[in-house]
Amino acid sequence: MRSARALAREFVGARVVLLALAVYMVAFYVIRGLIVGPGHPIRLAPPNGLAAVLVVPMTFAGFYFIGIFTFGLSGDLAARESIYPRRLFTLPLTNAALAGWPMLYGCAAMSSLWFVAAAVARIVGADVAVPWIWPMLFCAATIAWMQALTWMPYGVRGLRVVLAVIALAAIDMVVFAAVNLHVANATFVALLAPQLPIAYLVARYGVARARRGEVPDWSWLFRQGRERSGERTRSADVSRTFTSAFQAQCWFEWQSHGRTLPALVALVVPVELLLLFIPGNDTAPIVFEVVFIALLSPPFLAVFAAPHMAASSASPYMARRPLASMDLVAAKLKMTVWSTLAAWALVIIFICGALLLSGRMAVVVERLRTGSEVTGTLRMIAVVVVLLVALVASTWKHLVQSMCVGLSGRDWLIKGSVLAGLIALLALWPFIDEVLRNMKVQGVVWNALPWILAAMVLMKMIAGGCVAIILYDSRLLNDRALVAGAAAWLFAVVAMYGVLVWFADSPAIPRYLLGAVAILNVPLARVSAAPLAFEWSRHR
Amino acid sequence: MVVRLRGCAADERARISDQRVSATSICALPTPIPVEFASSLQQSDPVIHIANLTRRFGAKTALNSVSVSMPRGAVYGLVGANGAGKTTLIKHVMGLLKAEGGSVRVFGLDPVADPVGVLSRIGYLSEENDLPGWMTVNDLIRYSRAFYPRWDDTYAEELRNAFALDSAAKIKNLSKGQKARAGLLVALAYRPELLVLDEPSSGLDPIVRRDILGAVIRTIADEGRTVLFSSHLLDEVEEVADHVTMLRHGTIVLSAPLADIKAAHSGLSLDEIFISTARA
Repeated sequence: MRSARALAREFVGARVVLLALAVYMVAFYVIRGLIVGPGHPIRLAPPNGLAAVLVVPMTFAGFYFIGIFTFGLSGDLAARESIYPRRLFTLPLTNAALAGWPMLYGCAAMSSLWFVAAAVARIVGADVAVPWIWPMLFCAATIAWMQALTWMPYGVRGLRVVLAVIALAAIDMVVFAAVNLHVANATFVALLAPQLPIAYLVARYGVARARRGEVPDWSWLFRQGRERSGERTRSADVSRTFTSAFQAQCWFEWQSHGRTLPALVALVVPVELLLLFIPGNDTAPIVFEVVFIALLSPPFLAVFAAPHMAASSASPYMARRPLASMDLVAAKLKMTVWSTLAAWALVIIFICGALLLSGRMAVVVERLRTGSEVTGTLRMIAVVVVLLVALVASTWKHLVQSMCVGLSGRDWLIKGSVLAGLIALLALWPFIDEVLRNMKVQGVVWNALPWILAAMVLMKMIAGGCVAIILYDSRLLNDRALVAGAAAWLFAVVAMYGVLVWFADSPAIPRYLLGAVAILNVPLARVSAAPLAFEWSRHR
Repeated sequence: MVVRLRGCAADERARISDQRVSATSICALPTPIPVEFASSLQQSDPVIHIANLTRRFGAKTALNSVSVSMPRGAVYGLVGANGAGKTTLIKHVMGLLKAEGGSVRVFGLDPVADPVGVLSRIGYLSEENDLPGWMTVNDLIRYSRAFYPRWDDTYAEELRNAFALDSAAKIKNLSKGQKARAGLLVALAYRPELLVLDEPSSGLDPIVRRDILGAVIRTIADEGRTVLFSSHLLDEVEEVADHVTMLRHGTIVLSAPLADIKAAHSGLSLDEIFISTARA
């Protein structure tokens, strides 16, 4: 049992999260009972605002558990070497203990998570009868397989991520298919229970190999191609020099972080587009729904890519570059533009390829032709172009808007902002749900909308003004650059306003609303604060 | 300038001892090519001037009213026990830390207000080699030379050959010693006016340590260049330093030319002086 205690110390964070969740659930129960009252039921299918308050922290805790119990939070997921911490290999423990105890803790934590969620759902009276046993087994099997796959050494870099995604998707697909087919609980248990010992054996094998330092080398698969391209690269390298330090920094940023978003897109979007190849998925609504999901993926994935792009930039190595902070940040911003464009080039290639190969292109062309007959060809083309530009801009915005937090290099600020975002989401969701459900509340919000928007615009302008003053005072930007930046921002706002007026020219939609939407959507304060954040991190 | 070279062969030592050192004198490293040294400083101006520098981390005072002035052309040894404040002092010189009290001037410039002006003239190597692991040695050279107009391609190539670094090898696949050599290459190849070495030899084998010492000598071989060298290995400091500053609990307890220190301590080695000062 000494080994169990030794390894349990590695997962103190999970215990804290479980305890925090328990406290949260009690608080939720009390608040619901005393303040909200029984008039607001918890609806799980589809979830209403009150259910979201329950579901969102559970989901985050689940992802956190996967991260902490696989040791994925502290290791390089894409590396060929096992992610299992090497320092634990020197402990006087068997491979069975090294694999078994963390797996047991992970399974217990994930199952407890479901147990707590199901218990709370029953106590507070949800509309759906939440099952107990098989979801607990499902949670345990998920984390067990994640552990087994992440602890295994691989012969090719990145293969771990691909296999983990495939495994997660496979488990989910089997379970969701079983749910849709109304399979009996006993069948679920029969499907899921044997996976635990199999995952344990795979994990033990992976840990044993990692402990012996065995890392397979499958580079021979690519050697021939690499040798050919290597020859080309070497001959090119001799003559390739950077014309300026800024150009070198842009190259550095692209090589370090630029390919993250395109890689995520290349991993996710083709899987989404596979839906087009399923027989029967050839009606216009389904085809457009699949294409729409693929189009929404880059902005969504940019949220996950953004922290990776900013975090390592606050390193001492970057701080020692003999380049002005403004230029270092500008190189990063330029990289985000290229990264966004590369991701979108991939999305367009994937969508066109999938539509052509699946034979669904005709459906899209037909629907666009119908649309152009109604609205006019020029307007239809403009709609498509503006939609694409908006999505591309949204992707870039998601990449850069939290950059100032990551560039600060302060761990407490990064974690605090994530927590603040989560709390804001939890606080706003029931309110939004209430607005959507209650016509009376909708009326109140609509009447107060000018004031709400005016307050938001005012806050944004004050924040932008403060950042500009600090930038000028700290001599990071001169007055000319500040004026040029302000003019560029104003131009973007006016352009967006013009497009919005063109699209939504209706007496029902007041112009001030469109103006406020344009002002609030064009990034200002947070992007401008990025050089300040980097400067703060550079000279601590 | 007198430089002691205990680690070299006797005939080599005899050849170079008590005379201005040339880079060929040690370790078979390539000959430095004299370059025009354009410094904005006057000969008498200190390269580093620190006045009453104070820095606290929470309740702990890392540096307590430290004042140091380092003249041009000297090898300055910075010694002290773990946690004495050596790295904190060097980080202030590099502009990575902002002075809470007092002032720091490097080449007469504030390294926080003008990081480009200062960093472009400093070569830096630390124990924590944080070069980007994904780069190849060739990438590192290509990338680094873009920042320094005075980068010398021939010299860089000579260093790469002398250090036996494979240009196609990735940094992350290099051994600790090879990483230190790669760091040394990019710190030296633009012939910096000031070479800052923060515990560069810790955990490295004697061959790499010899290369680092060679780098110190190569740097001062070029007229007017300065070295700030912090190390636990006092015999190394003793071999190359003209001036030694000893820190204890963030305070300077000893700062004088090495010859004066040794004269005052009746021929004791720096190791023995360090231990006796630490116990005092």
